[in-house]
Amino acid sequence: MRNVNWLGLAFLSPALVMVTLFFLLPVVLTGFFAFTNMSTATGVTGGEYLLNSASLRRLQNEGLPQEVLAKLEAGGYRVDAAGLAALAEATTPATAQELEQLHGAAEFSDRRDMERALKDLLDNRIRRTRDRKEAAELFKRSILNERFATEAAFRAALSETGTRTAYAEQITTAAYTGWVWTTKNVELLFALPSTLRYAANTTLYVTLTLAFNVGFGLFLAITTFYLPKGQGAAFRAIWFLPRILPPVLYVLMWRWFTWDTGFLATVTGYFGISPKNWMLDTSYHAWTVVVLINGFVGASMGMIIFSSAIRAIPTSMLHASEVDGASRWQQVRWIILPQLAWPILFITCYQTLSLLTSFEYILLATDGGPGRATEVWSLAAYHTALNNYGGNLEYGLGAAFALVLVVIGIAASLIYFRLFNFKRLITKPLIEG
Amino acid sequence: MQLDLINFTKRFGDTTVIEDMSLSVSSGEMIALLGPSGCGKSTTLFAICGIHRIDQGQLMFGGKDVAHLPSQSRNVGVVFQNYALYPHMTVAENIAFPLKVQKMNRTDREAMVRRYAELVHIEALLERRPAQLSGGQQQRVALARALVRQPDFLLLDEPLANLDAKLRLEMRSEIRRLQQETGLTAILVTHDQVEAMSMCDRIALMNGGRIVQYDTPTSMYERPENDFVASFLGNPPISFVSGAGLGQSEARVARYGIRPEGFGPQFGSALSGRVTFVETQGREDLFDVSLTNGEVLRSIQPAGSGIRPGATVQWGVAQDKLLRFDQDGRRL
Repeated sequence: MRNVNWLGLAFLSPALVMVTLFFLLPVVLTGFFAFTNMSTATGVTGGEYLLNSASLRRLQNEGLPQEVLAKLEAGGYRVDAAGLAALAEATTPATAQELEQLHGAAEFSDRRDMERALKDLLDNRIRRTRDRKEAAELFKRSILNERFATEAAFRAALSETGTRTAYAEQITTAAYTGWVWTTKNVELLFALPSTLRYAANTTLYVTLTLAFNVGFGLFLAITTFYLPKGQGAAFRAIWFLPRILPPVLYVLMWRWFTWDTGFLATVTGYFGISPKNWMLDTSYHAWTVVVLINGFVGASMGMIIFSSAIRAIPTSMLHASEVDGASRWQQVRWIILPQLAWPILFITCYQTLSLLTSFEYILLATDGGPGRATEVWSLAAYHTALNNYGGNLEYGLGAAFALVLVVIGIAASLIYFRLFNFKRLITKPLIEG
Repeated sequence: MQLDLINFTKRFGDTTVIEDMSLSVSSGEMIALLGPSGCGKSTTLFAICGIHRIDQGQLMFGGKDVAHLPSQSRNVGVVFQNYALYPHMTVAENIAFPLKVQKMNRTDREAMVRRYAELVHIEALLERRPAQLSGGQQQRVALARALVRQPDFLLLDEPLANLDAKLRLEMRSEIRRLQQETGLTAILVTHDQVEAMSMCDRIALMNGGRIVQYDTPTSMYERPENDFVASFLGNPPISFVSGAGLGQSEARVARYGIRPEGFGPQFGSALSGRVTFVETQGREDLFDVSLTNGEVLRSIQPAGSGIRPGATVQWGVAQDKLLRFDQDGRRL
């Protein structure tokens, strides 16, 4: 018995690995990224410690006292062992020795002073200005613009600048360039006005496309049902084409079709309408095209499901309704449509979920434009995290966008599972006693 | 209303299913289209109600040609073999459907539904759905739905085929009662000769797309046109024997047909044979008797004779019930 169980698991394991790798892991990672500030700047691995003018500005905003800032900024030059060793390497050991004798452990706040000290060496004076500048650099001991691989190294350098330990923590945090845990993404999501815009766009997109999908799918299924068999099949095959066409090609056709030198512009040109890009001209145009592009693809799915559901209705029932005096329209309205209730509900649920997360056709067609008119939630997530115009890809914020979709998706799925409680549909027949 | 089907031909693609068939049904009469499966009886019914197009010929409803009218405008009520009830509607909605598509108002509709539900005795089931009904109850709903629009004709396509034996008996008399109460002209399609004989005024026996004989059950049983009719009607079926087996010969007679009730000890003892099979049916026993030349005669006798398989018997045939057939199977 145990062996049988293990065998079953073994057979299942490829599927389990797939599900874990391609379905579960992305969801878990999305939840994880959503609560970090990961971006191109921070990277996804650990970071370094670096103080630059930007981090100083940030510290100033956080209220760090001016004199601490000045100290961090000041930096200066110090004749220390490390610098002397480097100098001995660059010039001669004698030069280094003399400098140590004259200015050992001296500190200069200005580069000019450091250069003067090098110039004023008695025996080994460095004559060329360029050489002196280079030699002076060797003694530069500022914490600014210097990268430290570890926190310990940064703290050591920080204490060398003479910063009081009371501020060390704050400065170290500000200097860290890696990612940190944060809830800022979620707060930002609720604070940004553009979020509301994306939500509204998504609602509009899902509602319109869904209505088109289901309505047009039904229309196709019913009309082709009444056609002779061969013709109906041919029509359905034609309407199925967009689905088996590669999305890039399919959208490219639409772009050519609506281009300012494309089919639509050329045809309307004959009627005296000046050529324009019919897709991106106004947001109304963009929405129309987006809904049509998605709708024609989605309708084929509904058409197939509805067609087979209509075929599953016993022909005698359709005959009966005709004999009962029902016209075509009455037959559709009272016999066919009521029996399509479940397929319609199923398609509605399924399409809602897939439309919520699908953005490839919008990306290829309008890329959210014109402006941000057709930017839907999932596209915004993609743009934020993976394809940002500014170049700083905000993985964390993008993941927060995606996380909202995950939550909505799970909630919707749970509701649908309850809706599709097929057990309730089955009623026990009463056997003749 | 009188129904006349004149020179009716039906083809599916290249195959001619029914050729040049004529049938007339008098007003208030109930007839059966009887025949083996594939003989075209259902096709004929579907042509009458307009589901199948009529390729050639005329269909007269009360003297008016309706062959080119769609089924919606023919005003016939049909009961289908699987009842074809609408599963998403309640019983009341099912019955009301023909009235609803006629846009009859709600109160009139409800009154009609009640009236016909009472007629078929299902007034207690009006709020149920078809899935919650037994086969017999579904049958009654289908009948009410066919009757509620007050059709000119009632067409029944194998209405009893899906019922168990007990229910079939009950519905047989029930359908006949409804037909007589409403005075409707009705056509029953069946492959069961008992159904056809017990329910109908006349039977049109069909074979291979043609009507072989169209007559009352009694005369068809007693005076079959040919051996096909003779063998199709009657249960247990008729047996055919040669003149040699029977020990008599007449001119042009190729073989004789003897029904089981025409062979037994009460008709003399001219024939000797061996009982090869006995089937007990309760009130009666059915015997297979093998004659000396190997041909088999069937006999039905009151139970309690005590004759066992293997016994030798000396029985005779009733000469007045003997059916004579010629070389082509035609009765002489």
